[in-house]
Amino acid sequence: MPEVPITIVRRLPPAVVLVLAATVVGCGPARVAGPLPDAAAAAALRASLTSGESAGAAAEEVVSGTGWGSLTGRFVFVGTTGERRVLTVSKDIEVCSKDGMKLYDNSLRVDPASNGLADVVIFVRKSRRVKNPVSTEQLVFDQKNCEFLSPVFAARVGQPIDVRNSDPIGHNTNVSGSSFNQLIPAGDGTIFTPNRETGMPVSVTCNIHPWMKAYAVFRDDGYVAVSAADGSFTISDLPAGEPLEFQVWHARSLGPNGGLGLEKPELKWSSKGRFEITLEPDQVRDLGTLEVPAAALGG
Amino acid sequence: MIITTRLSLLALFVLLPLASGCGPTPPASFRLNMVEAISPSAEKDSISAEQALTPAQEKQVATILAAMFGTPDTPTCLPETGLDPAKLVLAAGPVRSDIVGRKNGLYREHCVHCHGITGDGMGPTAAFLNPYPRDYRPGVFKFKSTERASKPTHADLYRVLHEGLAGSSMPSFALLSPVQIDALVEYVKYLSMRGETELALMRYYFELDEEDEGKLPETREFLVEEILEPIAEKWASAEDQEIEVPEMPEDLDLAASIAKGRELFHGDKANCVKCHGVTALGDGQANDYDDWSKNIYKIEEKLKTLADSEPDSEERQWIAEFERVLAGDALTPRTIPPRNLRQGIYRGGRRPLDLYYRIHAGINGAPMPAAKGTVAPEDIWHIVNYIRSLPYDFDGELGADRAVAAQPGPAGRLVATQED
Repeated sequence: MPEVPITIVRRLPPAVVLVLAATVVGCGPARVAGPLPDAAAAAALRASLTSGESAGAAAEEVVSGTGWGSLTGRFVFVGTTGERRVLTVSKDIEVCSKDGMKLYDNSLRVDPASNGLADVVIFVRKSRRVKNPVSTEQLVFDQKNCEFLSPVFAARVGQPIDVRNSDPIGHNTNVSGSSFNQLIPAGDGTIFTPNRETGMPVSVTCNIHPWMKAYAVFRDDGYVAVSAADGSFTISDLPAGEPLEFQVWHARSLGPNGGLGLEKPELKWSSKGRFEITLEPDQVRDLGTLEVPAAALGG
Repeated sequence: MIITTRLSLLALFVLLPLASGCGPTPPASFRLNMVEAISPSAEKDSISAEQALTPAQEKQVATILAAMFGTPDTPTCLPETGLDPAKLVLAAGPVRSDIVGRKNGLYREHCVHCHGITGDGMGPTAAFLNPYPRDYRPGVFKFKSTERASKPTHADLYRVLHEGLAGSSMPSFALLSPVQIDALVEYVKYLSMRGETELALMRYYFELDEEDEGKLPETREFLVEEILEPIAEKWASAEDQEIEVPEMPEDLDLAASIAKGRELFHGDKANCVKCHGVTALGDGQANDYDDWSKNIYKIEEKLKTLADSEPDSEERQWIAEFERVLAGDALTPRTIPPRNLRQGIYRGGRRPLDLYYRIHAGINGAPMPAAKGTVAPEDIWHIVNYIRSLPYDFDGELGADRAVAAQPGPAGRLVATQED
C-alpha cells in the first residue's frame, strides 16, 4: 500500500472523536426544574376538595367591639438622602425638558426642615367594621411637566378618581394590575373608579413617556393613609375593640414587597412591615415619631 | 486499520447511545414557575431575598396544583373551573388513538414544541422565535374582542387557533376539525387557570401570619373559594365583557373618513404617532416591553442594583439562585416594537373589526393603550379606515414618489440617488 499522508483527525480513532462530540453537544444551562409534587398527598387533597368538606379549620373567634378610634404618627428619615437620580427624558423634549428643566426620581422625598419622610403608605390589612360608606367625591390624580404630581396615591375602592392631564401633550396612564390603561388627551381627564383592592401598592406608568412612575393603592375599607410632606399621617374612624393589623410600605424599602419594618419591639413591628393595635372607642392613638433609618430604604 | 474501523463502529452504535443517556422516558410533568418562586410578587421592583419560597413551600405549591389540576397525562379539573373534562382528555396526554380511533394528545402534537408542556411559552423552539410564543400562566391574552383586562372568549381563542397570527410563528390550524380546535382551546384555558392559580398561591405566602408557619391552608375555603373561584369567574364572565361596536355607517365617504382618520392619527387625542411614528413605520419609540418580558427585565434591573449595593450573604445566595433560574428558565427580555402599519400585517387579524378592537381596548399585556372614552366610536372607525389605507399610500412622507436620477458615484460607476 502506498504511503498516504494522514491528517491529525484521521490519526485519532473516530470512536473517540464521536464520543467526545456526543458529550459536548447539548451542553448548556440546564432547565431548572422545580420540585415534583407529592403524588399521594395530591390525591388525598383532591379527594378532600371534591368531597365538599372543609378540612377541619376551626372557626375564628369573632372579636368585635363598638365605637371608633384613630391612629396617627409621623415618619422621620434618619440619615442622608444622597443625590437624586436624574431621569432620562427621551420623548416630547419641548415639553418634558422645557427650558432645560430636569426631572428627578422622587421615590424618596424627605422634608429638609423637619426630616419628615413623605409617601409612606399605611393601611389596615383586614377590618371587620367600616364606619362610612364610599364617598362619591372625586379625587384628583394629575400629571404635569411629564411627571405624576402625586408620587403615591391612595383611594378607596368604588371612589371615582379624576385622572387628569395638565400637559399640552397626550399621556396614557397605565395602572398595573387593573383594567385601566387609557389615553388621556392634553388638558382633559377621564374618570377611573377602582373596582378591586390592591394588595400592596401597584405602579402607575405612562407607556408614551416611560420614565414616569407613581404608585397607587386602593383598599375596600378605605383605611389607608399616605404620609404627607412632613411625614405625618392620620387614619380616622377605625373600628375600636378589635385587633387591627397595619401594613406599612415605602417605594424604596428593602423589605419583602416594599414592606417597611422598623425597630419597634413594643409594637412587635415585623420585618414584613406589620404591627397590630387594638383601639379603645374614641381613642386617638399617637405612635409618635417613627424613625426610618436610611439603611431600610437602601441608602 | 481494520480492527480500528470495527472498534469505531462499535463505539458509534453502542457507546454513543449509552453515553447520551438512553433509557425509558419519564412521564411528562408540569414545571413550577421558578422565576415566580424566587420572587413571588406582582411588583417585581419591590422584591427582596426574604420573600423567596423555601423548597418546602415550592413542594407544597406543586402538590396543591397536582391536586387541583392533575398532571399533563391525566388532567383533572374541579367543577368550579367550568371546564369540560372530556375535551381535556382529547387534548392532553401522549399522542395516541383512543378506543374508537379518535386522536388524543392534540396539545402535545401541535403545541408543546413552542408553548411548552406547562403552557409557559418556553418549549424547545421558543428561544428561536420572534415574537416569543405566548406564556399562558399570567392569564393575559392580547388579541380578543373583550375589554382590555378581560379574558378572551372561547370564540376569540378559537379564532386565533383557526386563523393563526399573521406576522408571527403561530400557524393556522384550520386543517383540524372544529372538535379538535375546541379541545385545544379548552386545554389552553386549563393551562391558563392552572398558571394563574400557581401565581396566586405563590404570592399568598406573603399574606400569611406568623401562626401559619409558612404553610398555605389546604382547605376548600381557601383553595377553592378564595383562590380558584375569582380566577374561574373572570373566565366565565368573558362573554359579558365583549366590546360593543357600532356599525360603520353605510353611506360613509371613504376618502373623507381616511382624511379625518389621518388627522386623528397625527392629533394629540389619540397620540398614535408617539409610538407608531409620523410615517406609521413603528419608529416612534421602541423602549418598552410587553408584560412577559417586562417581568424579567425588572428582575434583571433589580439584581443589578442589588449587586452594586454590597449584598449580604443571604442576598448573594439569592442573586446566584436568580441567575441560575434566569439562565435556564426564562427567555431573554425583548423590547416590543410598535407595529409597522405600512405593511398591512396585523397579528390580531385584519378585519376592520379587529382593528377597531385593538384601538378601542388597546392590547392587554402590551403597551398599546385603550382609546375608549377618549376617542369617539365614529372617530375610531375613521382611524381604522386610515390605517387600512396606509399600505396603499404612496403619496406620503416616505418620499417614494420623489424622482430618482442616475448620478456618477464612486469609482465612476453610476448610482441612483433621489433628488431632494
